[in-house]
Amino acid sequence: MDIFIQQLTNALVVGSFYSLIALGYSMVYGIIKLLNFAHGDLYMIGAFAGFSALSLLSGDAGVLGIAMAFLAAMIVAGLFGIGIERVAYRPLLNSSRLTILITAVGVSLVLENGVMLTYGPSFKVFPSQLPITGFQIAGATVTYSQIGLILLSVLLMVALQWFVHRTLYGKAMRSIAIDQTATSLMGIPVHRIIGITFFIGSALAAAAGMMAGLYYGQINFMMGFIVGLKAFTAAVIGGIGSIPGAMLGGLVLGLLETFGTIYIGGEWKDVFAFAILILILTLKPTGLLGEKVTERM
Amino acid sequence: MKVLKKIGLGLSVFSLLAVTACGSAGTSGGGSSQGGSTASEILIGVQSPTTGSEAKMGQDINNAIQLAADEINDKGGINGKKIKLVFADDACDPQTATAAANKLVSQGVVAVVGGYCSGATLPASGVYHNAGIPMVVTAANSAKIPAQGYKEIFLVNGTTVHQGEVAADHMVAKLGGKRIAIVHDNSAFAKDLAEITKKAVEKKGGQVVAFEAVNPEEKDFTSLLTKLKNAKPDATYWTAYYAAGGLLIKQFKQLGVPGVIGVGDGANDKTLIDIAGKQAAEGTFVTTSPTPEFLPEAKSFNESYTKKFSQAPGPYSALSYDGMRLLADAISRAGSTDKAAIVKALKETKAFKTFGGNVSFKEDGTLEKSNFIVIQVKDGKFSK
Repeated sequence: MDIFIQQLTNALVVGSFYSLIALGYSMVYGIIKLLNFAHGDLYMIGAFAGFSALSLLSGDAGVLGIAMAFLAAMIVAGLFGIGIERVAYRPLLNSSRLTILITAVGVSLVLENGVMLTYGPSFKVFPSQLPITGFQIAGATVTYSQIGLILLSVLLMVALQWFVHRTLYGKAMRSIAIDQTATSLMGIPVHRIIGITFFIGSALAAAAGMMAGLYYGQINFMMGFIVGLKAFTAAVIGGIGSIPGAMLGGLVLGLLETFGTIYIGGEWKDVFAFAILILILTLKPTGLLGEKVTERM
Repeated sequence: MKVLKKIGLGLSVFSLLAVTACGSAGTSGGGSSQGGSTASEILIGVQSPTTGSEAKMGQDINNAIQLAADEINDKGGINGKKIKLVFADDACDPQTATAAANKLVSQGVVAVVGGYCSGATLPASGVYHNAGIPMVVTAANSAKIPAQGYKEIFLVNGTTVHQGEVAADHMVAKLGGKRIAIVHDNSAFAKDLAEITKKAVEKKGGQVVAFEAVNPEEKDFTSLLTKLKNAKPDATYWTAYYAAGGLLIKQFKQLGVPGVIGVGDGANDKTLIDIAGKQAAEGTFVTTSPTPEFLPEAKSFNESYTKKFSQAPGPYSALSYDGMRLLADAISRAGSTDKAAIVKALKETKAFKTFGGNVSFKEDGTLEKSNFIVIQVKDGKFSK
């Protein structure tokens, strides 16, 4: 029992990181049908922005300092997201999907190497780290930080759900997802809404990056690569383009990886993720929560 | 279409030129026994990872080798010739390492010094062997490197066989542990050390209750550690590198896994303590080659290194510095830059004085006497 509860907590923490990043993938795909392969690197940008913000604060940052750094990380990565969309994607929105996919990979390389040149190639130790105090449930150790991280991710996801379904901007986003041309004919500033989508998606990824930095305490310019692929997998599992699907996909992936590690072995962790990706693509390409869409391309 | 064809033609002509250029450089380098060295210079290659996850270690190694070469040059060089270093980045990756080795060979180096990651050094050593170029390996220490039987490869660092024994001895004999857990990351060095340690532990009467592997880039060890917690080990030994090792130690303490935790020499770096956090790192043991801060003889080295690069030497700096000096000594004894003569001189090295003791080589190119020590983290610092 203790091992089960322990693994469940572990899985929820990892799963919420995946979910937060998968949301950005799904939103961008939902709105402009682009697989933004640079998205994982925005997670990394978030971690580094948080790192810089925390480094500016001398000594122990405290809760307020961490909150400020969080905000800074989300804003910086959000602006990066807008910038990337403006420079690398918008000029190509009407060209073939393959072209824009290639630019996405290019952007990813630019971000990774840019950060490597700025911060250096070695691992950075996060200036503030979460306390490791916790309590015992039936023999399992659960730390307050883990609970905090899970709650914060849930809060961000609820906020996003509210934004998309209850605000005018959200309504515009959903409308663009259905028909971009018709939406622009209604006088809705399509490009601005796409920009906002990139901002939100990137900010969520940055929040996950910042959380990972605080939780693991160690960041590196390559950290976004494999996580980005995993989040993409999560988005596909849940049904790419669907927001609840991205959340579900992240959690499912976290659970699968964690319990797979126990029963089969740690070195197989990545194999699970990508085996599931292949399975879903063959058996149910629309994902767990995905709807049937008519092909428009 | 026409334009495309023209571009295509241009490209193919260009690549042909490039290939022939490379080819001629290769033959001139490999063909003559004097290599690419001129009358006044000796070209020596340095292979180390300066990008990728182990970039910091590569920089430490390059700095130390540069320092040694500069000192030798200031004293007049080797047999009146100055050393010229050529650096090649192996990124701690077998594929990049092979390319780096080929690059060094085609540039005509007469010898190579360096090699941090065993996974990268293994394929590269084959390239040097084929070209007859001697290599002094300063950090990589998988037992698989000497096992290849290449007569050109010499290791100034003890091998995993030595280290595994020291680790098993510490955990079983010294700490009285019965149940031992071993975790590695599937890289050539870490896996090798883990397997050798497992055998050594069993030979000493300990029981290996968990033998686990993770992905090299792993950040989340919680599920693995939960499994370990259930196995109740007396001691856990991480055989891979410091970046993941620090996280492992941190999460080990976070989850409250019983017993002590220790790491191999790939994780011997101050950053390990930073990543794990002082509190969690306390009491961690490290099996390591002699690092400069524990060697009284290395005091002047420490000072000149710190002065030149405004940072403390890394865990492999002293060994790399020694490796360069040892190679220079062999070249001067060989009396020429002929590769075979340098190999012969290296083989005949007798009690060359280094920080870790006097170096002589066994038939397989490894140290006659191992130099591993066990240090511990005390008050957030490594101490003996």
